[in-house]
Formats: sequence, structure tokens, C-alpha cells
Amino acid sequence: MTSTFALIVTDTSPLITLAVANQLDVLLRAGLPIEIPDAVYFEATRIRAAPGANQIGAWINLHSEMVRIVPTETGIDQQRRLEEGRPIRGLGEQAAIEALEIFLAKTPDAQALLLFEDTDIAKRRAIVDDRVSLISTGDFLRALQSARLIQSAEYILDEAARSGRNVAKQRESAAGDDTKEALRRQLLTSRRP
Amino acid sequence: MTHTEKSSLIHQYAAGELSWHTLRERGFENYLEVLAALAEHGLKYPLAPMTGPNVAARERGIAILTERFNAQTSP
Repeated sequence: MTSTFALIVTDTSPLITLAVANQLDVLLRAGLPIEIPDAVYFEATRIRAAPGANQIGAWINLHSEMVRIVPTETGIDQQRRLEEGRPIRGLGEQAAIEALEIFLAKTPDAQALLLFEDTDIAKRRAIVDDRVSLISTGDFLRALQSARLIQSAEYILDEAARSGRNVAKQRESAAGDDTKEALRRQLLTSRRP
Repeated sequence: MTHTEKSSLIHQYAAGELSWHTLRERGFENYLEVLAALAEHGLKYPLAPMTGPNVAARERGIAILTERFNAQTSP
């Protein structure tokens, strides 16, 4: 897949937000090839039971003609760190820079659109290059709303938070059940002569 | 991270005072935790205002998307 334009996902947050809101398909609406750096993909999906993780994997497979995972040196380093029990937090962004460099090196007229989380795009200085444009999750959804391709950007973002909350409640409840079970076993053991 | 600390951080995040990058440095493990905390506190996802160091690059990005989206909806 060689294209002069690509949408590069720089962080897990847009993927997780759209996955839990069941709206990953909106990313395809721009008709641009989507590149997900390996470290971003791994960070978003490494806990298989985590909400959104399975949706992201299935979505990539379903749209493999449009979405690809980009192998990077940072991704290799991420695996090494995991094996050595070192932290891997924040490597997604580093991998995204690498993925961008790989993409821009393909052809002189290559152009990239980098997708960021809203608070990160507002606060951090990104790459200064005329061939690189930026977009936040909110910008993306609002552009879709303006073109009347979705009804409401706000609804999708609220839905993501609601789903996130439901999942957190389920986890707390499951953790509570585990604790009760552990306590019950402990009591049974202590009663035995 | 205590519940009070988490609550304070998520309020600052929702107000646009802290970034996701900072939340991660301060102990939020993944973005799902952030979404859950927003909903728990009745807060909205913080949309980025059109300010800051990346405005020109963002305006370019929005223009690219708008052109592509409108091409799909125009008769």
C-alpha cells in the first residue's frame, strides 16, 4: 500500500475513545490509509480483556486494506522492556515519530495527518513540517459533524465516557467478588483444625 | 494514587489544565481510566481550544478533512 497521504495515529487515546464508543469506523470516513505504529497498537491492546482491545484488533483485521500496523525500532525496544520488566509508558508517541519519518521518507510529496488526543495537541509542540498536519479526536469528530456525516461529536465523546464508566464498575464489582472469594477461602482454611 | 488525588487530576484534565501525557506521568495507567473518571465525576471530554503552538498545523488538518468529508456529501 503506497500512498502520498496517510493518517497516523500517535497515541492510544483516540483508538480507545472511539473503540469504547463503538465508533472506530469514523476514522475510515476520510478515505485515507491509516497507519498505527506498533507500540501504539500494542499499548492499546496488550491487555486482551481490556475494553476496546478486542474491538481494535478486530477492526484492524476487518479493514486491513486501509489500516496497517507500522513496525518500528521503538516497538522492538518496547518488547525488550516488557521482557526485562521495565516500564513501557509513553513509547507510543516515540514510535509515532518514527512511523512519520518512515512515511515521509517514502516519497517527496508524502503528506501526513497526525491524530492526537485533544489535551496533548493543545499543549505540546509537535513536528514543524509543512507536509505534516495535525488533528485531535475532537477536531476529527467536529469536522464529521459539520459535514453531517455524524449527528453529534459530543454524543460520541459522552458515550465513550459512559462506556468507560460502566467498564470500570464491572471491574470494581469483579475485584470485589475476587476479594470476597479470597476472604471466604481464608476463613474456611482458618477454621480447619 | 488516592481517590482525592485522582479526582483533583481529572478535574484539572477536564478543565484543560493538564494533558493526557501528564496524567499518564502521574499514575493513570490507560486512557480507559480517564474516560471512566470523567463519567464518574460528571465531567466532559476536554475538547482542545484553537490555541497553543500547533494551531496552524491543526487548521491545515481540519481543512484537509473538511474537504474530504464535504466531497462525500456534496451532490
